[in-house]
Amino acid sequence: MKAITLKSIIAIIAISFFQNEIYAQAVNWEKTSKQNKNLLHANIGAEYGITAGLGYHRLIPVKRFPLWIGGEFSMPLGNQLADDFKVKLGAQIRIAAYNYFQFSARVQGIARRYHNQSVTLFNFGSDFAGTLGYYRKHWFWGAEAGFDKAIVTHFKHSDWYKNNIYDNVQDGWYEPATGGDFYYGLQGGFCMKKTDFTLKAGRVLQQDFKSQPLLPFYGHLGVNFNF
Amino acid sequence: MKKSFIIYLPFIIFALFSFSCTKERYIDEPGNLVSKTVVQDSTLPSILVNGALLHSEAFGSEDNTLIICIHGGPGGDYRYMLNCKTLATKGYRVVFYDQRGAGLSQRFPKRWYKSQGGDAINKIFYDELKGVIAHYKTSASQKVILLGQSWGAMLATGYTGKYPNEVNGLIVAEPGGLKWDDVVDYISESRSFKLWSESLNDATYIDQFMTGKEDQHEILDYKAGLIGSVNTIVGDVGSDLGNNAPSYVASRSGAVVNAASYELGQDFKPDFSAGINNFSTKTLFIYSSNNKAYPDSWAEKISSAYPNKEIFKAQGVGHSGMFDQVNFWTTTMEPKIISYIQSL
Repeated sequence: MKAITLKSIIAIIAISFFQNEIYAQAVNWEKTSKQNKNLLHANIGAEYGITAGLGYHRLIPVKRFPLWIGGEFSMPLGNQLADDFKVKLGAQIRIAAYNYFQFSARVQGIARRYHNQSVTLFNFGSDFAGTLGYYRKHWFWGAEAGFDKAIVTHFKHSDWYKNNIYDNVQDGWYEPATGGDFYYGLQGGFCMKKTDFTLKAGRVLQQDFKSQPLLPFYGHLGVNFNF
Repeated sequence: MKKSFIIYLPFIIFALFSFSCTKERYIDEPGNLVSKTVVQDSTLPSILVNGALLHSEAFGSEDNTLIICIHGGPGGDYRYMLNCKTLATKGYRVVFYDQRGAGLSQRFPKRWYKSQGGDAINKIFYDELKGVIAHYKTSASQKVILLGQSWGAMLATGYTGKYPNEVNGLIVAEPGGLKWDDVVDYISESRSFKLWSESLNDATYIDQFMTGKEDQHEILDYKAGLIGSVNTIVGDVGSDLGNNAPSYVASRSGAVVNAASYELGQDFKPDFSAGINNFSTKTLFIYSSNNKAYPDSWAEKISSAYPNKEIFKAQGVGHSGMFDQVNFWTTTMEPKIISYIQSL
């Protein structure tokens, strides 16, 4: 069959049930302290593919609103490791706290690349999310919801595409926004002295709230090192 | 001051990302990422059949035996079959058409396909093929040969089973399956991505760059084309049309008709072998050596539905290679097809 098939979609959806991943690192706000201002984190899971990521955040105490700023780098697995990747830079701030319940917000700028035999895409986007959670010193859980917007994308098609698919394709920057996905899910973690183990999983919906991506779920298993 | 700058740096970067470009270029504008359809470009060859404007052309003398080329998909196009047009120089009238919602033919909303319900295969595909034949047929005695590949072979088989007396010859190349369960098994086998593979990554990673609503054909067709252009499991390597290629390059997937067809298939489980036992004329059944999802055992199973057949294994090519590789076409496939037609 020459075109993508429902069966393949079903197979990929089935695959996603067994793979967990995330959008950004889960933080235990109850553990923030002036001694541990640095957070190095790594994760593996699924986010539009099977991915692995590394990141660093630094704590900026802003009175009663602790703020983590930093960045993350992730890439999907595959034969060509460097052809696709995503970089996120941004901040995560605690906005409100009541007893052990805390609400935080995250805003990140995104730069990401996609490459296959037909096209190379480079996109600038944004990711906004809010997390409401219950945080104790040694564990936490929370629920998050967010929106990932592909704001402007550059298309550069290969000679193969122009010779085989469409010779008059228009390369260049495309805007307004070329895409956008909502996501929501749960996160939790188990925390030791300097190390946290985190888990996030949830669902992804396209911005029309009806369609869904080929991998309609995300999940992530992560490790945080505080120092 | 320095600390404040660091805090606001991400927001500044985000603002730059958001507002730095002013020239607008839309991904859903016709002609930008995928070629225009016959509705959007009146210079393309087209015919009006069964309420749809179809991209279609024919080669050879009008009164010669008709060879109707039926492409794969659902949602493919006929471009990769254009090597077959050399049959026009051998005394045949070769007809190509892009099915409704596919290739460069007119698009329809998904709800239109779904509204056809249990009679969808008849109304969408069989009636259309009947209309195409009627459009090009110049006399009642003109012979009609159907030549279908992949989904096109399934469609040709189903049509022949329904109208066995209106088809004078049937050439089928690797129909995935004829009964729905076999169709599902074949699709599963031919699209079995490995978790860590580049193929899976190529199919899924793009979803964060582009999203299309249910009937945004330009976006959905573009994404489907990126995913479906090459499949190493079935041995496809990309078309080589040589001098048979037209002056323009415009191949386009039909994502909506593809998705709607599979959903209808899941709902109604059509049997494309229905009635084919009434077709006593010899069928030429072709399969390829490089399609890992189509071993000898599968060819034997699927071909068993045809009561009178000649089985031919195309050596050294894949699923589409018997038609889209010009050298193989010239040296092997075209002589085989001519020999088959002359034997009828």
